[in-house]
Amino acid sequence: MLQMILLRGAMVGAVYASLAVGFSLIFGVARIVNLAHTAFFMLAAYMLFTATSMLGLNTFLSIVISIVLVTAVGVACYKAFLERIREHEGAVILMTVALALAFQELMLLLFSGVYRGVAPFIAGNVDIIGVTIPIQQLLIVGITAVCLLAVAAFLYWTNLGLAVRVTAQDKEVTNLMGINGNKTAMISMALAVALAAVAGAVVAPTYVVNPYMWAHPLVMMFAAVILGGLGSMKGSFIAAFILGYVEVLVVFLIPEGSFIKGAVALAIVVVILFLRPEGLFGVTFEEERL
Amino acid sequence: MADAFFEVQGLTKRFGGLVAVDNVSFRIDQGEVVALIGPNGSGKTTLLRLIMGVLKPDSGRIIFKGKDITRHRSCDIVKRGIAGTFQVVKPFRNLPCIMNVMVACMVTKAKRGEWTKRLAVKARDALEFVGIADLSLERAAVLSHGDLKRLEIARAISTEPELLLLDEPFGGLNPAETDLLGKSMRRLHKGGRFGRLHSEEMVMLIVEHKLMDLMKIVDRVLVLNFGQIIAQGTPEEIASDNKVIEAYLGKGVILGAS
Repeated sequence: MLQMILLRGAMVGAVYASLAVGFSLIFGVARIVNLAHTAFFMLAAYMLFTATSMLGLNTFLSIVISIVLVTAVGVACYKAFLERIREHEGAVILMTVALALAFQELMLLLFSGVYRGVAPFIAGNVDIIGVTIPIQQLLIVGITAVCLLAVAAFLYWTNLGLAVRVTAQDKEVTNLMGINGNKTAMISMALAVALAAVAGAVVAPTYVVNPYMWAHPLVMMFAAVILGGLGSMKGSFIAAFILGYVEVLVVFLIPEGSFIKGAVALAIVVVILFLRPEGLFGVTFEEERL
Repeated sequence: MADAFFEVQGLTKRFGGLVAVDNVSFRIDQGEVVALIGPNGSGKTTLLRLIMGVLKPDSGRIIFKGKDITRHRSCDIVKRGIAGTFQVVKPFRNLPCIMNVMVACMVTKAKRGEWTKRLAVKARDALEFVGIADLSLERAAVLSHGDLKRLEIARAISTEPELLLLDEPFGGLNPAETDLLGKSMRRLHKGGRFGRLHSEEMVMLIVEHKLMDLMKIVDRVLVLNFGQIIAQGTPEEIASDNKVIEAYLGKGVILGAS
């Protein structure tokens, strides 16, 4: 029981974490509130479905293709729609909502509303710390963990990563040191969408793939970002796991009430925000400090 | 006439009804150190911000090495070889000093994706040059005001500029610090190699409130008042110019006179 909660919570948390960290990254660097973030997550699931079930490609090749394609779509959306209106925050929010709805309708047109499924990457179960779980669930934790570590390594160990991090701190000063703010924004967009795509691809076998599957993760991702403190990637990461475990605990403790798992998680967010309005790891931005 | 190294032609910037910079033209030649002085609110800082691309001018042109750079983005201007420090120092507070400088080091070679360690060596040389190498691992938030000013200069020179704009570099410094900074500036102007940093007869435009500290450093002085250049000449000429004295002290220098 306890082991099961640990593993399931890690799985749900890992998915929310890769979404929330990406969202925080774009928000921090480019000040873009990307409501289309989980739409990319949905796109990746559909791409994987198309590649494996419709085109019959090899699973791992399909995963790579869908992640690369979705990232390309994300960067194209940024270049085409978001870059020129970046200064106007309200317009950006409207634009991202429009993008999310457009993707949803596009998927409805292409695949209809029928629920689709994707086969697990590796079928079968595995025994671990005394419980038996599908290998797919372990893969979810493993793959998202590797991708999050890769993003962290990029941000903390490379020059370009440093450029991205300082843009998040003070755009104007960074610009005065010769760093192109549009370029760092694009890089963070690419990284964030790639993380969302990875999450979308790895969870596809455990989800029902449908055009509305972006809505629930969007709410939970938002909750994680707010709980962790807007703009803090570390906060988003930790908060995502908190919410993941809360959801899993609710399902395990009151199985007949599992439909309230989202509500309980959000209630906890509300309570914490009463105690710490800036979130767990809230950061103040340079321009707001003045 | 040959192209000037740096030239500003008829630059104007209005903030609502206020003309902060009014049809300003001047040129700076290769190898010069020029001071820009003027009373409070005369438009000195606005002029610098226009040159750095932080503000966009309403009219006029800025020409650097024969190329029109008016309305370019700041990051492109820095890449062309102009760097500036600001009156209000704005470091990346949570990062160590050395990282602050490393950000600026990136511009010289677009060797992005390189491991950060390489830049660290160069950044350390810049910190050593301004004399705060011992603080390189401290977070910028804990530095004193004088040290922050030096950090700011370290960041500016790490972009290896050909034209360096300094906004009130001596503001808030004590006499010993002022002296030290003055010496650093003369070294920069003479040029040479400082570790991995390279400088070749760096041309400087120094904005100051008072002329006193600059007398020994600068070749030429521009005086700005109400957004217009009212005088220019050698420091000695300017010090005895009646128009300048008037701008600073007011006409007649009598209490209550308007």
